[in-house]
Formats: sequence, C-alpha cells, structure tokens
Amino acid sequence: MSDAARRATLDGVRPAGREARESGAFWLGVREDIARVTVVVLPKGRGVEESIGQWRVSPEVFGEISRWAKPRGLTLLGIAHTHVRGIPPRLSWSDRHRSVCVPGILSVVIGNGGEDNDHYTWGWYVYDGDDYREILRPELTQRVRDNSTDPVEVLHADSERVWRLTS
Amino acid sequence: MTASEKAAVVEEPADQRGAGKEVEVTIDYLPATAAFQHEYPRTETLATVRTDAMVFFGVRDRQERDKYEYFLEFDGTRITNTSQTLGELVGPHKKKAEFHLVEQITPGSISK
Repeated sequence: MSDAARRATLDGVRPAGREARESGAFWLGVREDIARVTVVVLPKGRGVEESIGQWRVSPEVFGEISRWAKPRGLTLLGIAHTHVRGIPPRLSWSDRHRSVCVPGILSVVIGNGGEDNDHYTWGWYVYDGDDYREILRPELTQRVRDNSTDPVEVLHADSERVWRLTS
Repeated sequence: MTASEKAAVVEEPADQRGAGKEVEVTIDYLPATAAFQHEYPRTETLATVRTDAMVFFGVRDRQERDKYEYFLEFDGTRITNTSQTLGELVGPHKKKAEFHLVEQITPGSISK
C-alpha cells in the first residue's frame, strides 16, 4: 500500500469521523502475489450511510464500483472503515458478518474516526476460511508493505456513478 | 481433417443461422479475480444464471441473524424477476450479456 493510498483513505474518512460518524473506503487493485492498492474509492452520498454506529454501502454502490473496476481489470482487495473515538479499532460482530466475506479480502478498521495515521495501530483482518482473522504485528509487517512511490487514483462512488476526485 | 470436413462441423443448420440461439453471459463480482462466463440458451431463466454464478463465486443466499441475498444487476438495474428468461431480458438479437453480482444484507434484530 502506498503512502498516497493511506493518505487518500484518511483524507476521505476524516470529515465524517470529525462529526462522530463512521466512514470508509474501498481499496482496489490487481490481486496477485504482491497486490498493490492502486485505486481508493470513497463511497459518498446516495446509497451510503455514514452514521454513529455504522457505515453501510448499498448493493447498488457495489454494482457501480464493479462496473467501473472490472473493465479495468481491478478487484476489491480490501475495505477500510473507521470506528469513532472511544471504539477500539477491532471488527465488531456486524463488521464481521455484514461485510464482504470472500477469501483473501482485507478488512481494516481505523480508529479515532480516521485520525490514527499509523497503520500499525489499525485493526487488520483477512477473510480466511469462514471468518475474518486478525493479522497480528509480525504477520502484518510481512504482508503489508508501505511503498511510498506508487501513485493512487482516488474516486468517489454512489449508487448512480463513479467519478474521479483527483488524478 | 480436410477443409470440407471442418466446414461441415462448424456450419449452423439453416433454421438456426443468425437466429442467435445462445447468449454468452459474463458475470463479474467485485471481490473476485475472475468473471463467471457461460453460454446459455435464450430460454434459460435468470434464476439459473444467478445460481450458477453464485456457485462459481462460492457464495449463497442464507438466513442467519441477518438475511444474505445475491442479485444480478444488468445495465445498472437490479434483477428481481428471476423467472424471466435471458431472451426476454436482452431481446432477440444480443448475443452477449454482462451482469454484476451484488450482495444485499438485511440486518436482523441484533446489531452492534
């Protein structure tokens, strides 16, 4: 994951976090041995619920992102979402069960409404078998590499379209 | 194999020539690396197509605390009438149809 992807994620989720609402981002890339997050999608608006207790993205938003991503050969690598201040950055029951459950996909929880810069303080999970498994520090160090040179494309998405935020 | 034999193998019967009896279906699922691809007769129902895709992607409708359902989307519209046939959906001439599989989770009574 590039520093740009990390920054784009944090920049995207913080506005809601500062209003004590959860938010999140989709990380897209090509799934391979070393998968790079090349696109950060920030769902906003229609079909997206950012509230105190949950961040929910409607199937229609997933559909729009899929229509944009698949012709470009991109896959959903992971989903990052925030927990508001005071809630540990750990997957809750609903985070585990009301999310995409596909082997290999990452689920990342950013604490303090996205104010935590250090990705080692985030909760990292991978769907493995039939549940999400936490990736602990030693494995995280091995598996998640900070590559500050890779560029990232940042997009917004709602239930009707995907559009470029920056290039 | 001679050229004439090849021609005999690939030539369509006269009554099917150009009739577009088959539809090449591609279904993408955002977290999956590969798309589901299969050719169906126009008379095939979307229920069968959806089921085949779900098997391919390793997902299934289920009712636990929450209700998990998968839908096909076509041209940005969620398909709810799965008794409809492919031919009815795409019309008599299209030979390809691209869908996206999306998941609907309806929360049950327990939330975080």
